[in-house]
Amino acid sequence: MKLAYYPGCSLHSSSVEYDISSRKVCAALGIELVEVKDWICCGSSPAHQCDDLMSVALPAKNLALVRQTDDLKQLCAPCASCYSRLKVTQQRLTDNDLKKDVETVIDMEYPEDIEVLHMLDVVVEKAGTETIKEKVVKSLAGMKVACYYGCLMTRPPKVTGKKQFENPTQMESLVEALGAETVDWNMKTFCCGAAFALTKTDVVLELTRKILADAESSGANAISVGCPLCHANLDGRQTQINSKFKTNFHIPIFYFTELMGLALGIEAKELGILKHLTDAKKFLNERALV
Amino acid sequence: MKVVKQENINLDSSFAQEIAKLSGENVFLCYQCKKCASGCPSRMFMDSTPTELMRYAQLGMVDEAMKQNTIWYCVSCQTCSTRCPQDIDIAHVIDTMRIIGQQKKIQSDNNKLPLFNRLWMTMIKYMGRAYEAGLVASLNLFSGTPTKDMVLGMKMMRKGKLKLWPSFRKPFATMKMFSRAKKLKK
Ligand code: SF4
Ligand code: SF4
Repeated sequence: MKLAYYPGCSLHSSSVEYDISSRKVCAALGIELVEVKDWICCGSSPAHQCDDLMSVALPAKNLALVRQTDDLKQLCAPCASCYSRLKVTQQRLTDNDLKKDVETVIDMEYPEDIEVLHMLDVVVEKAGTETIKEKVVKSLAGMKVACYYGCLMTRPPKVTGKKQFENPTQMESLVEALGAETVDWNMKTFCCGAAFALTKTDVVLELTRKILADAESSGANAISVGCPLCHANLDGRQTQINSKFKTNFHIPIFYFTELMGLALGIEAKELGILKHLTDAKKFLNERALV
Repeated sequence: MKVVKQENINLDSSFAQEIAKLSGENVFLCYQCKKCASGCPSRMFMDSTPTELMRYAQLGMVDEAMKQNTIWYCVSCQTCSTRCPQDIDIAHVIDTMRIIGQQKKIQSDNNKLPLFNRLWMTMIKYMGRAYEAGLVASLNLFSGTPTKDMVLGMKMMRKGKLKLWPSFRKPFATMKMFSRAKKLKK
Protein backbone atom coordinates (compact mmCIF):
# COMPACT_ATOMS: atom_id res chain seq x y z
CA MET A 1 0.00 0.00 0.00
CA LYS A 2 1.27 3.45 -0.90
CA LEU A 3 -0.05 6.64 0.71
CA ALA A 4 0.76 10.32 0.54
CA TYR A 5 2.01 11.56 3.92
CA TYR A 6 1.39 15.00 5.40
CA PRO A 7 3.44 15.27 8.60
CA GLY A 8 2.53 18.88 9.43
CA CYS A 9 4.62 21.42 11.35
CA SER A 10 4.53 19.79 14.81
CA LEU A 11 5.90 16.49 13.57
CA HIS A 12 8.90 18.32 12.21
CA SER A 13 9.79 19.78 15.61
CA SER A 14 8.06 19.35 18.98
CA SER A 15 6.61 15.92 18.22
CA VAL A 16 9.38 14.51 16.10
CA GLU A 17 8.97 11.13 17.86
CA TYR A 18 5.48 10.79 16.37
CA ASP A 19 6.98 11.26 12.91
CA ILE A 20 9.80 8.79 13.55
CA SER A 21 7.56 6.10 15.03
CA SER A 22 4.86 6.54 12.36
CA ARG A 23 7.39 6.02 9.58
CA LYS A 24 8.96 3.03 11.34
CA VAL A 25 5.73 1.16 12.02
CA CYS A 26 4.35 1.84 8.56
CA ALA A 27 7.55 0.46 7.07
CA ALA A 28 7.20 -2.63 9.28
CA LEU A 29 3.62 -3.11 8.07
CA GLY A 30 4.61 -2.71 4.44
CA ILE A 31 2.89 0.67 4.05
CA GLU A 32 4.86 3.10 1.95
CA LEU A 33 4.55 6.76 2.96
CA VAL A 34 5.46 9.39 0.39
CA GLU A 35 5.82 12.86 1.93
CA VAL A 36 3.77 15.47 0.09
CA LYS A 37 6.20 17.60 -1.90
CA ASP A 38 6.58 21.19 -0.63
CA TRP A 39 3.63 20.91 1.76
CA ILE A 40 2.73 24.03 3.70
CA CYS A 41 1.16 24.61 7.13
CA CYS A 42 -2.56 23.76 7.26
CA GLY A 43 -3.22 26.95 9.23
CA SER A 44 -4.33 24.96 12.29
CA SER A 45 -6.51 26.78 14.84
CA PRO A 46 -5.14 30.33 14.31
CA ALA A 47 -6.34 30.34 10.70
CA HIS A 48 -9.94 29.36 11.42
CA GLN A 49 -10.06 31.92 14.22
CA CYS A 50 -8.98 34.87 12.14
CA ASP A 51 -9.23 34.25 8.41
CA ASP A 52 -12.01 32.06 7.08
CA LEU A 53 -10.84 31.97 3.46
CA MET A 54 -7.22 31.11 4.29
CA SER A 55 -8.38 28.49 6.79
CA VAL A 56 -9.70 26.45 3.88
CA ALA A 57 -7.25 27.63 1.21
CA LEU A 58 -4.17 26.40 3.09
CA PRO A 59 -5.42 22.80 3.46
CA ALA A 60 -6.80 22.93 -0.11
CA LYS A 61 -3.36 23.79 -1.41
CA ASN A 62 -1.96 20.72 0.35
CA LEU A 63 -4.68 18.52 -1.11
CA ALA A 64 -3.79 19.89 -4.55
CA LEU A 65 -0.14 19.08 -3.85
CA VAL A 66 -1.09 15.47 -3.07
CA ARG A 67 -2.11 15.18 -6.69
CA GLN A 68 1.42 16.05 -7.71
CA THR A 69 2.84 13.45 -5.35
CA ASP A 70 2.97 10.32 -7.50
CA ASP A 71 -0.71 10.93 -8.38
CA LEU A 72 -1.79 9.36 -5.09
CA LYS A 73 -5.41 9.39 -3.97
CA GLN A 74 -5.06 8.71 -0.26
CA LEU A 75 -3.51 11.09 2.23
CA CYS A 76 -2.41 10.15 5.73
CA ALA A 77 -2.18 12.91 8.37
CA PRO A 78 -0.97 11.86 11.83
CA CYS A 79 -1.75 15.20 13.52
CA ALA A 80 -5.36 15.45 14.67
CA SER A 81 -5.46 19.16 13.95
CA CYS A 82 -4.13 18.84 10.38
CA TYR A 83 -6.48 15.90 9.84
CA SER A 84 -9.43 17.97 11.02
CA ARG A 85 -8.55 21.03 8.92
CA LEU A 86 -8.14 18.86 5.80
CA LYS A 87 -11.50 17.18 6.43
CA VAL A 88 -13.29 20.46 7.18
CA THR A 89 -11.92 21.87 3.95
CA GLN A 90 -13.21 18.91 1.96
CA GLN A 91 -16.63 19.36 3.48
CA ARG A 92 -16.80 23.12 2.96
CA LEU A 93 -15.51 23.00 -0.60
CA THR A 94 -18.58 21.07 -1.69
CA ASP A 95 -19.89 24.65 -1.96
CA ASN A 96 -19.05 25.67 -5.53
CA ASP A 97 -18.66 29.41 -4.90
CA LEU A 98 -16.19 28.86 -2.11
CA LYS A 99 -14.37 26.29 -4.20
CA LYS A 100 -13.97 28.80 -7.01
CA ASP A 101 -12.54 31.41 -4.62
CA VAL A 102 -10.16 28.87 -3.14
CA GLU A 103 -8.94 27.78 -6.56
CA THR A 104 -8.20 31.41 -7.36
CA VAL A 105 -6.21 31.75 -4.14
CA ILE A 106 -4.20 28.55 -4.57
CA ASP A 107 -3.90 28.99 -8.33
CA MET A 108 -4.29 25.24 -8.77
CA GLU A 109 -7.08 22.86 -9.49
CA TYR A 110 -8.68 21.53 -6.31
CA PRO A 111 -8.98 17.74 -6.39
CA GLU A 112 -12.22 16.37 -4.94
CA ASP A 113 -11.35 12.71 -4.78
CA ILE A 114 -8.62 12.54 -2.15
CA GLU A 115 -9.32 10.28 0.80
CA VAL A 116 -7.98 11.85 4.00
CA LEU A 117 -7.08 9.41 6.76
CA HIS A 118 -5.75 9.82 10.26
CA MET A 119 -2.77 7.61 11.06
CA LEU A 120 -5.01 5.56 13.38
CA ASP A 121 -7.41 4.89 10.48
CA VAL A 122 -4.47 3.75 8.38
CA VAL A 123 -3.20 1.17 10.85
CA VAL A 124 -6.54 -0.04 12.20
CA GLU A 125 -8.68 0.02 9.05
CA LYS A 126 -6.19 -0.30 6.22
CA ALA A 127 -3.61 -2.61 7.79
CA GLY A 128 -5.99 -4.25 10.28
CA THR A 129 -5.54 -5.32 13.88
CA GLU A 130 -5.33 -9.02 12.93
CA THR A 131 -2.31 -8.40 10.71
CA ILE A 132 -0.71 -6.33 13.43
CA LYS A 133 -1.36 -9.01 16.04
CA GLU A 134 0.51 -11.55 13.92
CA LYS A 135 3.54 -9.27 13.80
CA VAL A 136 3.79 -8.69 17.57
CA VAL A 137 7.06 -10.06 18.90
CA LYS A 138 7.07 -8.39 22.33
CA SER A 139 3.69 -8.35 24.03
CA LEU A 140 2.87 -5.22 26.01
CA ALA A 141 1.35 -7.30 28.83
CA GLY A 142 1.44 -5.43 32.12
CA MET A 143 0.59 -2.12 30.57
CA LYS A 144 -2.82 -0.69 31.47
CA VAL A 145 -3.51 1.94 28.90
CA ALA A 146 -6.05 4.75 28.88
CA CYS A 147 -6.69 5.48 25.20
CA TYR A 148 -7.09 9.21 24.74
CA TYR A 149 -8.62 10.59 21.54
CA GLY A 150 -9.11 14.23 22.44
CA CYS A 151 -11.32 16.35 20.22
CA LEU A 152 -10.49 16.37 16.57
CA MET A 153 -9.84 12.73 15.75
CA THR A 154 -13.55 12.04 16.08
CA ARG A 155 -15.36 15.39 16.25
CA PRO A 156 -17.49 16.71 14.71
CA PRO A 157 -18.78 13.46 13.14
CA LYS A 158 -20.24 15.42 10.22
CA VAL A 159 -16.65 16.22 9.28
CA THR A 160 -14.78 13.07 10.33
CA GLY A 161 -17.47 10.62 9.28
CA LYS A 162 -16.82 8.64 12.47
CA LYS A 163 -19.72 6.57 13.78
CA GLN A 164 -18.40 6.34 17.32
CA PHE A 165 -17.61 9.85 18.44
CA GLU A 166 -18.66 9.98 22.09
CA ASN A 167 -17.08 6.66 22.96
CA PRO A 168 -14.65 5.64 20.22
CA THR A 169 -12.91 2.27 20.55
CA GLN A 170 -10.55 2.12 17.57
CA MET A 171 -7.43 2.76 19.61
CA GLU A 172 -8.49 0.23 22.23
CA SER A 173 -8.74 -2.49 19.61
CA LEU A 174 -5.24 -1.63 18.45
CA VAL A 175 -3.67 -1.43 21.92
CA GLU A 176 -5.30 -4.71 22.95
CA ALA A 177 -3.94 -6.38 19.83
CA LEU A 178 -0.49 -5.39 21.10
CA GLY A 179 -1.06 -7.36 24.30
CA ALA A 180 -1.77 -4.47 26.65
CA GLU A 181 -4.86 -4.01 28.77
CA THR A 182 -7.09 -0.96 28.26
CA VAL A 183 -9.22 0.79 30.86
CA ASP A 184 -12.73 2.18 30.79
CA TRP A 185 -12.62 5.85 31.59
CA ASN A 186 -14.55 9.07 31.19
CA MET A 187 -12.18 11.54 29.62
CA LYS A 188 -11.22 9.88 26.36
CA THR A 189 -12.76 12.62 24.22
CA PHE A 190 -12.45 15.50 26.70
CA CYS A 191 -10.43 18.47 25.50
CA CYS A 192 -6.88 19.07 26.82
CA GLY A 193 -7.02 22.77 25.93
CA ALA A 194 -4.64 22.30 23.03
CA ALA A 195 -5.13 25.55 21.18
CA PHE A 196 -4.40 27.52 24.35
CA ALA A 197 -1.08 25.89 25.21
CA LEU A 198 0.84 29.10 24.63
CA THR A 199 -1.76 31.79 25.21
CA LYS A 200 -3.77 30.67 28.22
CA THR A 201 -1.73 28.05 29.98
CA ASP A 202 -4.01 28.08 33.07
CA VAL A 203 -6.84 26.58 31.02
CA VAL A 204 -4.54 23.85 29.72
CA LEU A 205 -3.24 22.99 33.19
CA GLU A 206 -6.76 22.63 34.57
CA LEU A 207 -8.14 20.55 31.69
CA THR A 208 -5.05 18.37 31.46
CA ARG A 209 -5.11 17.80 35.21
CA LYS A 210 -8.66 16.43 34.93
CA ILE A 211 -7.61 14.01 32.20
CA LEU A 212 -4.56 12.74 34.10
CA ALA A 213 -6.57 12.35 37.31
CA ASP A 214 -9.31 10.37 35.60
CA ALA A 215 -6.84 8.09 33.84
CA GLU A 216 -5.07 7.41 37.11
CA SER A 217 -8.23 6.72 39.09
CA SER A 218 -9.38 4.33 36.36
CA GLY A 219 -6.30 2.24 37.07
CA ALA A 220 -4.29 3.16 33.98
CA ASN A 221 -0.51 3.25 34.21
CA ALA A 222 0.00 4.84 30.80
CA ILE A 223 -1.93 6.95 28.30
CA SER A 224 -1.82 6.57 24.55
CA VAL A 225 -2.53 9.48 22.20
CA GLY A 226 -2.71 10.27 18.51
CA CYS A 227 -2.21 14.02 18.44
CA PRO A 228 0.95 16.11 18.92
CA LEU A 229 -0.88 18.80 20.88
CA CYS A 230 -2.45 16.30 23.28
CA HIS A 231 1.00 14.77 23.76
CA ALA A 232 2.66 18.13 24.35
CA ASN A 233 0.11 18.99 27.05
CA LEU A 234 -0.20 15.62 28.78
CA ASP A 235 3.51 14.79 28.60
CA GLY A 236 5.07 18.22 28.87
CA ARG A 237 2.90 19.87 31.52
CA GLN A 238 2.96 17.22 34.27
CA THR A 239 5.70 18.99 36.25
CA GLN A 240 3.81 22.29 36.15
CA ILE A 241 0.54 20.58 37.08
CA ASN A 242 2.19 18.82 40.01
CA SER A 243 3.55 22.04 41.40
CA LYS A 244 0.36 24.03 40.81
CA PHE A 245 -2.16 21.49 42.13
CA LYS A 246 0.10 19.67 44.62
CA THR A 247 -0.42 16.42 42.75
CA ASN A 248 2.08 13.71 42.04
CA PHE A 249 1.47 12.58 38.47
CA HIS A 250 4.10 10.63 36.68
CA ILE A 251 2.20 8.94 33.87
CA PRO A 252 4.10 8.07 30.70
CA ILE A 253 2.30 9.32 27.58
CA PHE A 254 2.84 7.32 24.38
CA TYR A 255 1.83 7.89 20.80
CA PHE A 256 -0.04 4.77 19.70
CA THR A 257 2.61 4.39 17.00
CA GLU A 258 5.29 4.15 19.69
CA LEU A 259 3.38 1.37 21.44
CA MET A 260 3.06 -0.42 18.11
CA GLY A 261 6.78 -0.01 17.47
CA LEU A 262 7.67 -1.48 20.87
CA ALA A 263 5.41 -4.47 20.30
CA LEU A 264 6.83 -5.00 16.83
CA GLY A 265 10.29 -5.23 18.40
CA ILE A 266 11.69 -1.79 17.58
CA GLU A 267 13.94 -0.27 20.28
CA ALA A 268 12.50 2.57 22.41
CA LYS A 269 15.46 4.75 21.50
CA GLU A 270 14.92 4.25 17.79
CA LEU A 271 11.27 5.21 18.18
CA GLY A 272 12.17 8.50 19.84
CA ILE A 273 10.53 7.55 23.14
CA LEU A 274 13.49 8.92 25.09
CA LYS A 275 12.52 12.39 23.90
CA HIS A 276 9.46 12.44 26.16
CA LEU A 277 9.52 15.03 28.92
CA THR A 278 7.80 12.72 31.41
CA ASP A 279 10.36 9.95 31.56
CA ALA A 280 9.11 6.65 30.17
CA LYS A 281 12.37 4.73 30.43
CA LYS A 282 11.93 3.51 34.00
CA PHE A 283 8.38 2.41 33.22
CA LEU A 284 9.51 0.41 30.20
CA ASN A 285 12.51 -1.00 32.09
CA GLU A 286 10.26 -2.41 34.82
CA ARG A 287 8.26 -4.21 32.14
CA ALA A 288 11.31 -5.45 30.26
CA LEU A 289 10.34 -3.41 27.23
CA VAL A 290 13.65 -1.63 26.78
CA MET B 1 -26.98 33.69 34.47
CA LYS B 2 -25.66 37.23 34.36
CA VAL B 3 -28.24 39.97 34.82
CA VAL B 4 -27.95 42.81 32.33
CA LYS B 5 -29.76 46.08 33.14
CA GLN B 6 -32.27 47.00 30.48
CA GLU B 7 -30.98 50.53 29.94
CA ASN B 8 -27.51 49.13 29.28
CA ILE B 9 -28.59 46.80 26.50
CA ASN B 10 -27.60 47.79 23.02
CA LEU B 11 -29.53 45.92 20.36
CA ASP B 12 -28.27 45.44 16.83
CA SER B 13 -30.55 43.35 14.68
CA SER B 14 -27.99 43.09 11.90
CA PHE B 15 -25.64 41.04 14.13
CA ALA B 16 -27.27 37.65 13.46
CA GLN B 17 -27.39 38.47 9.77
CA GLU B 18 -23.71 39.34 9.71
CA ILE B 19 -22.93 35.99 11.37
CA ALA B 20 -25.14 34.15 8.88
CA LYS B 21 -23.51 35.88 5.94
CA LEU B 22 -19.99 35.05 7.09
CA SER B 23 -20.57 31.51 8.33
CA GLY B 24 -23.83 30.23 6.88
CA GLU B 25 -25.02 29.47 10.42
CA ASN B 26 -28.52 30.45 11.55
CA VAL B 27 -28.47 31.36 15.24
CA PHE B 28 -32.26 31.65 15.33
CA LEU B 29 -32.51 27.87 15.26
CA CYS B 30 -31.26 27.76 18.85
CA TYR B 31 -34.04 26.95 21.33
CA GLN B 32 -31.88 27.32 24.44
CA CYS B 33 -31.72 23.67 25.46
CA LYS B 34 -28.33 24.26 27.15
CA LYS B 35 -26.76 21.11 25.77
CA CYS B 36 -23.84 23.13 24.43
CA ALA B 37 -23.23 24.82 27.78
CA SER B 38 -23.40 21.55 29.73
CA GLY B 39 -20.68 19.86 27.73
CA CYS B 40 -18.35 22.82 27.31
CA PRO B 41 -14.99 22.06 28.94
CA SER B 42 -14.07 25.73 29.07
CA ARG B 43 -17.34 26.89 30.63
CA MET B 44 -15.78 27.52 34.06
CA PHE B 45 -13.53 30.21 32.57
CA MET B 46 -16.20 32.01 30.55
CA ASP B 47 -18.24 35.09 31.54
CA SER B 48 -21.32 33.60 29.82
CA THR B 49 -22.17 30.14 28.56
CA PRO B 50 -22.27 29.22 24.86
CA THR B 51 -26.09 29.00 25.24
CA GLU B 52 -26.26 32.58 26.49
CA LEU B 53 -23.95 33.60 23.69
CA MET B 54 -26.44 32.22 21.18
CA ARG B 55 -29.22 34.23 22.80
CA TYR B 56 -27.09 37.41 22.65
CA ALA B 57 -26.61 36.72 18.95
CA GLN B 58 -30.35 36.23 18.38
CA LEU B 59 -31.21 39.44 20.20
CA GLY B 60 -28.35 41.42 18.71
CA MET B 61 -26.77 42.10 22.10
CA VAL B 62 -23.43 42.82 20.50
CA ASP B 63 -21.64 44.17 23.57
CA GLU B 64 -22.51 41.15 25.70
CA ALA B 65 -21.37 38.80 22.95
CA MET B 66 -18.23 40.61 21.93
CA LYS B 67 -16.88 42.43 24.98
CA GLN B 68 -17.01 39.59 27.47
CA ASN B 69 -14.25 36.99 27.52
CA THR B 70 -16.60 34.17 26.37
CA ILE B 71 -15.66 33.92 22.71
CA TRP B 72 -11.97 34.09 23.54
CA TYR B 73 -12.13 31.17 25.98
CA CYS B 74 -13.59 28.71 23.50
CA VAL B 75 -10.95 26.04 22.86
CA SER B 76 -12.59 24.93 19.59
CA CYS B 77 -13.14 21.42 20.95
CA GLN B 78 -16.28 20.91 18.79
CA THR B 79 -18.27 19.29 21.61
CA CYS B 80 -21.11 21.80 21.29
CA SER B 81 -21.24 21.55 17.49
CA THR B 82 -21.34 17.77 17.78
CA ARG B 83 -24.19 17.68 20.28
CA CYS B 84 -26.51 20.53 19.26
CA PRO B 85 -29.94 19.03 18.50
CA GLN B 86 -30.58 21.91 16.09
CA ASP B 87 -27.42 21.15 14.17
CA ILE B 88 -25.90 24.57 14.69
CA ASP B 89 -22.12 24.64 14.33
CA ILE B 90 -21.64 26.74 17.46
CA ALA B 91 -17.85 26.57 17.30
CA HIS B 92 -18.04 28.06 13.82
CA VAL B 93 -20.35 30.82 15.08
CA ILE B 94 -17.79 31.61 17.78
CA ASP B 95 -14.96 31.64 15.23
CA THR B 96 -17.02 34.06 13.18
CA MET B 97 -17.53 36.33 16.18
CA ARG B 98 -13.79 36.24 16.80
CA ILE B 99 -13.13 37.22 13.20
CA ILE B 100 -15.58 40.14 13.51
CA GLY B 101 -13.96 41.14 16.81
CA GLN B 102 -10.48 41.10 15.33
CA GLN B 103 -11.52 43.03 12.22
CA LYS B 104 -13.35 45.68 14.21
CA LYS B 105 -10.64 45.68 16.87
CA ILE B 106 -13.20 45.26 19.67
CA GLN B 107 -11.42 45.38 23.02
CA SER B 108 -12.02 42.53 25.47
CA ASP B 109 -10.22 40.04 27.68
CA ASN B 110 -9.05 38.08 24.67
CA ASN B 111 -6.23 36.17 26.34
CA LYS B 112 -3.63 37.08 23.70
CA LEU B 113 -5.37 35.06 21.00
CA PRO B 114 -5.53 37.81 18.34
CA LEU B 115 -1.81 38.44 18.82
CA PHE B 116 -1.07 34.72 18.62
CA ASN B 117 -3.18 34.37 15.47
CA ARG B 118 -1.45 37.33 13.83
CA LEU B 119 2.01 35.98 14.59
CA TRP B 120 1.10 32.52 13.33
CA MET B 121 -0.40 33.78 10.06
CA THR B 122 2.56 36.10 9.44
CA MET B 123 4.89 33.18 9.96
CA ILE B 124 3.05 31.01 7.46
CA LYS B 125 2.87 33.85 4.97
CA TYR B 126 6.63 34.35 4.90
CA MET B 127 7.91 30.87 5.69
CA GLY B 128 5.22 28.48 4.52
CA ARG B 129 5.37 26.54 7.76
CA ALA B 130 4.99 27.31 11.44
CA TYR B 131 8.22 27.68 13.39
CA GLU B 132 7.47 26.87 17.01
CA ALA B 133 10.53 28.27 18.78
CA GLY B 134 10.16 31.62 17.03
CA LEU B 135 6.44 31.67 17.71
CA VAL B 136 6.85 31.12 21.46
CA ALA B 137 9.64 33.67 21.71
CA SER B 138 7.81 36.39 19.79
CA LEU B 139 4.50 35.77 21.56
CA ASN B 140 6.14 36.04 24.97
CA LEU B 141 8.10 39.10 23.93
CA PHE B 142 5.11 40.98 22.49
CA SER B 143 2.88 40.12 25.42
CA GLY B 144 5.44 41.23 28.00
CA THR B 145 6.21 37.85 29.59
CA PRO B 146 9.58 37.03 28.01
CA THR B 147 10.49 34.27 30.46
CA LYS B 148 7.21 32.31 30.37
CA ASP B 149 7.73 28.55 29.91
CA MET B 150 11.49 29.08 29.69
CA VAL B 151 12.31 25.93 31.70
CA LEU B 152 9.97 23.84 29.53
CA GLY B 153 11.48 25.33 26.37
CA MET B 154 15.02 24.51 27.52
CA LYS B 155 14.02 20.92 28.27
CA MET B 156 12.46 20.58 24.84
CA MET B 157 15.52 22.08 23.20
CA ARG B 158 17.75 19.55 24.97
CA LYS B 159 15.56 16.68 23.75
CA GLY B 160 15.76 17.96 20.19
CA LYS B 161 12.08 18.95 20.18
CA LEU B 162 12.52 22.58 19.20
CA LYS B 163 14.42 23.68 16.18
CA LEU B 164 16.62 26.73 16.61
CA TRP B 165 16.27 27.84 13.02
CA PRO B 166 13.18 27.96 10.84
CA SER B 167 13.01 26.17 7.53
CA PHE B 168 11.93 28.20 4.53
CA ARG B 169 9.83 26.35 1.97
CA LYS B 170 9.17 28.18 -1.25
CA PRO B 171 8.04 31.26 0.71
CA PHE B 172 6.87 33.04 -2.42
CA ALA B 173 4.17 30.40 -2.90
CA THR B 174 2.42 31.27 0.36
CA MET B 175 3.07 35.01 0.00
CA LYS B 176 1.31 34.90 -3.35
CA MET B 177 -1.60 32.96 -1.83
CA PHE B 178 -2.07 35.62 0.82
CA SER B 179 -1.99 38.46 -1.69
CA ARG B 180 -4.45 36.73 -4.02
CA ALA B 181 -6.78 36.19 -1.04
CA LYS B 182 -6.49 39.85 -0.12
CA LYS B 183 -7.42 40.92 -3.64
CA LEU B 184 -10.36 38.52 -3.70
CA LYS B 185 -11.76 39.87 -0.41
CA LYS B 186 -11.81 43.38 -1.86
S1 SF4 C 1 -27.19 22.97 21.94
FE1 SF4 C 1 -27.94 24.11 20.14
S2 SF4 C 1 -30.13 24.45 20.53
FE2 SF4 C 1 -29.21 23.80 22.46
S3 SF4 C 1 -28.76 25.74 23.52
FE3 SF4 C 1 -26.90 25.13 22.41
S4 SF4 C 1 -27.05 26.15 20.42
FE4 SF4 C 1 -29.06 26.23 21.35
S1 SF4 D 1 -16.13 24.42 20.93
FE1 SF4 D 1 -15.87 26.10 22.38
S2 SF4 D 1 -17.91 26.62 23.09
FE2 SF4 D 1 -18.05 24.62 22.09
S3 SF4 D 1 -17.87 23.16 23.78
FE3 SF4 D 1 -15.80 23.48 22.94
S4 SF4 D 1 -14.91 25.16 24.17
FE4 SF4 D 1 -17.13 25.14 24.55
